[in-house]
Amino acid sequence: MAKQQVKSGDNTTRWIVIAMVLLVVVTGVVFSLMSQSNKENASLAALDGTKLQPAIVSTIDAANGSAITLNSGQAKAVDIWEDPQCPVCKNFEDANGTYIESLVREKKATVRFHVLSFLGDESVRAANASFCAADEGQYLDFHHALYAVQSPLENSGFLSNDKLVSIGKKIGFNSTKFANCVTKGSKIDLVKANYDSMSKFGVKGTPTVFIDGKLWERKSPDFNLAEFKAAVEAK
Amino acid sequence: MKQFNTRFQPYLTLLARLLLGGVLLVAGGLKVTKPTDAANAVAAYKLLPTNIAHLLGYALPWLEVAIALLLIVGIVVRPAAIAGGLIMVIFIGAIASAWARGLVIDCGCFGGGGALDPALADQVHRTYFIEIMRDLGLALTALYLYFFPYGKLSFEKAAVEE
Repeated sequence: MAKQQVKSGDNTTRWIVIAMVLLVVVTGVVFSLMSQSNKENASLAALDGTKLQPAIVSTIDAANGSAITLNSGQAKAVDIWEDPQCPVCKNFEDANGTYIESLVREKKATVRFHVLSFLGDESVRAANASFCAADEGQYLDFHHALYAVQSPLENSGFLSNDKLVSIGKKIGFNSTKFANCVTKGSKIDLVKANYDSMSKFGVKGTPTVFIDGKLWERKSPDFNLAEFKAAVEAK
Repeated sequence: MKQFNTRFQPYLTLLARLLLGGVLLVAGGLKVTKPTDAANAVAAYKLLPTNIAHLLGYALPWLEVAIALLLIVGIVVRPAAIAGGLIMVIFIGAIASAWARGLVIDCGCFGGGGALDPALADQVHRTYFIEIMRDLGLALTALYLYFFPYGKLSFEKAAVEE
């Protein structure tokens, strides 16, 4: 097949048009980049005025995938598997986080948080920092904070160790112990142990929730408190 | 066949421009408002270093919209068709490689994207196949436009009117 021929003389116009289009594309990229990093930095402001809640001692349950365990030994047990960067986990947290905290504070259930890290380096750092926060007795505070500032863009460079330390500072961690634990990656073995236990418990994605060892399957399209509460409180 | 093409080429070219341009416009337009989703979607293919993938994810929706507008209006159709065709070939390669590596992801073609529940593996593999066929069709459309960029309702005209 013979190609159609170009009308001669309009080559310059052609290149100008192409250059203009590329300019628009580049402008779009720069705009997206800037709005993204602005949003991330502004999200820290969401933590302004946060007060540290009373400390709760947590344990590491080696028999249960080395999860952060609150209220060990209650009759009812809720296992929550999540990754700090997972957007659906944020939805779960937004819907049920307060209720789960009340289960812990009112000693209604043992709650085990399995902090996963399969979404990349920033999840690994955030998971490490979560175990550091658990050492302070403030896991729940840190957990809420991480979801409050969660970036819609995974591994964007947002969750650096420095940023994790400053998230801690924002919510009232002032010990150098926490900062050292975060920057040195002291809890990396626990991070790995949690990640490695996924297959043992048949966990393939996040969030995954087990109530008394039984997989909870949500029926409604979105997470809603009434449904989750009914499932937890069912006999 | 040749006669058929000579006779209907201006209309076929218009149809091809609207098809390729229309799909790209919808695909790009749905993503332009959610740049972070597109960036996550590209990163989920795990073919590029994360920050380069993010950059590409930001650029892709704008690029798609730009190519689409050029095709639909009929300006620099041949270069736009080359770009559109290249994009399709890259998509085919990326989806095929995700399939070959057993990744279970949403292609992010029309917004959304990212890792999916591995339980959906079978369904996702069917989707990969359909997506590859669709992109192949669009790549061929682009190839036709490479040969015959000038047709009806176009700002650009051929050197010799046929």
